[in-house]
Amino acid sequence: MIKMNGVIKRFGKNTVLTDVSFEVKKQEIFGLLGPSGAGKTTIINILTNQLNADGGNYETGASSFETGLMLDNDGLFPRLSCADNLNVFADIYNIPRKKSMEALKNVGLGEAAKKSVNNLSKGMRQRLALARAILHNPKILFLDEPTSGLDPATARGIHKLILELREKGATVFLTTHNMDEAVKLCDKVSLLHKGKIIEQGAPDEICRRYDSVKTVPDLESVFIKLTGVELE
Amino acid sequence: MRSIRAIFIKQAKDMFKNPMVLIMFIIFPAVSLIMTELVAKSNDDIPNNMFVTMMAAIFAGMALITSMSGIIAEDIERGSLRLLVMAGVKPHQYLFGTGGFILLMGIVVSVIFTLIGDFTNTEIIKFLTVMVMSTAASIILGASIGIIAKNQQAATAIGMPFAVILGFTPMVAGFNKTVEKAASILYTQQMNVIVNDFSANFNKAMLVMGINIAVLLVLFIIIFRKRGLKV
Ligand SMILES: Nc1ncnc2c1ncn2[C@@H]1O[C@H](COP(=O)(O)OP(=O)(O)OP(=O)(O)O)[C@@H](O)[C@H]1O
Ligand SMILES: [Mg+2]
Repeated sequence: MIKMNGVIKRFGKNTVLTDVSFEVKKQEIFGLLGPSGAGKTTIINILTNQLNADGGNYETGASSFETGLMLDNDGLFPRLSCADNLNVFADIYNIPRKKSMEALKNVGLGEAAKKSVNNLSKGMRQRLALARAILHNPKILFLDEPTSGLDPATARGIHKLILELREKGATVFLTTHNMDEAVKLCDKVSLLHKGKIIEQGAPDEICRRYDSVKTVPDLESVFIKLTGVELE
Repeated sequence: MRSIRAIFIKQAKDMFKNPMVLIMFIIFPAVSLIMTELVAKSNDDIPNNMFVTMMAAIFAGMALITSMSGIIAEDIERGSLRLLVMAGVKPHQYLFGTGGFILLMGIVVSVIFTLIGDFTNTEIIKFLTVMVMSTAASIILGASIGIIAKNQQAATAIGMPFAVILGFTPMVAGFNKTVEKAASILYTQQMNVIVNDFSANFNKAMLVMGINIAVLLVLFIIIFRKRGLKV
């Protein structure tokens, strides 16, 4: 569904991605993990055609209309209500506005439909951004740090939603610094460090490979073993 | 068309919740109404339409440039425009939707000005014509500024000198012949000439304003090609 092969990306003299390859299958939840500045957002920007790569090739099995996005910048219209934020996109996608309400209820914002974005908490904004991403039932979802800065309970709510979306057939590509999240949520992860994928596979498998399974699979310690760098 | 409409509606809903933009569309007609009723009409030395024409020129220059550039810069800054484009909105559709709404508001305010002032029917037609031309020119200029600025703060910083020159020069030109000569190439000055004296050379004003719009449009296209609406 999503494939990258030997992708290189430079910003001026700074080579941000040196050789990135991975594959995401249909209905997989794929996690791209790496510390801040590793190049996670850059990879999403390339896959969504917002940036051109300087080498290698890549493809996604969905048109831009079949793609849902939650970017590092939530892009919400701050003075419009939750419902109106989604209605703008419903109109653009030419889908009935009642879908906006459905999406809001899906993320637990049914009650807040009339609230303006300015009056939402961080977690509510994230959920609204997710509602916008799923509004048109996309085949592929790109979620850039969907739970960063959220309290554990709100984060769990978003995890539950992501799992439900996958059940309904979506393929999910997410980035995170949070190893626990990756272990719980992802079928497959790639560890990105300094522009290279240094390890990939199912989270518990990777942990076994590095003998890091104490009580629960500890992906964090694998990452530190591999790079000497902590994630957060 | 669907996308243009969606952007237009978004803009309409946003404006009435955005005091920074809303105030620009209210303050100039409001001041002209108050000054006309309280000062101009009770004072024989002051032409009845003086404040209407003065405020109309400032409105056409200032309000429209700052609001158009501010809206675009904000949408770029917040990443909203990026999402709209990813959802399939073409950059020109975004600009038509946004500009279309500002144009409509410009026309509404112009009509309000004609109601406050004391005009004959032919004068109203001339007034509205020059106002629409000025509004169009200001929208194109504002769009260019918004694209260059990419954030609201920069948009204000870049837009303000343009807005002040275009909005206030006609007023200064009234007192100073040299300024008047130099200003005659500006669309706001031509607009001012007509609304102050409806017997002035209308065709010449139209020509200058047309050239202004053409030049601004070319400038806009160059900027748009170079910088696009990319973040
Ligand atoms: N437009 C750009 N111009 C120049 N350099 C850039 C640009 N975008 C990203 N970079 C650089 O590329 C590197 C990777 O950035 P990126 O945003 O992809 O990291 P990230 O893994 O998403 O980090 P974070 O977890 O903090 O979001 C950084 O060093 C950043 O400075
Ligand atoms: Mg990032």
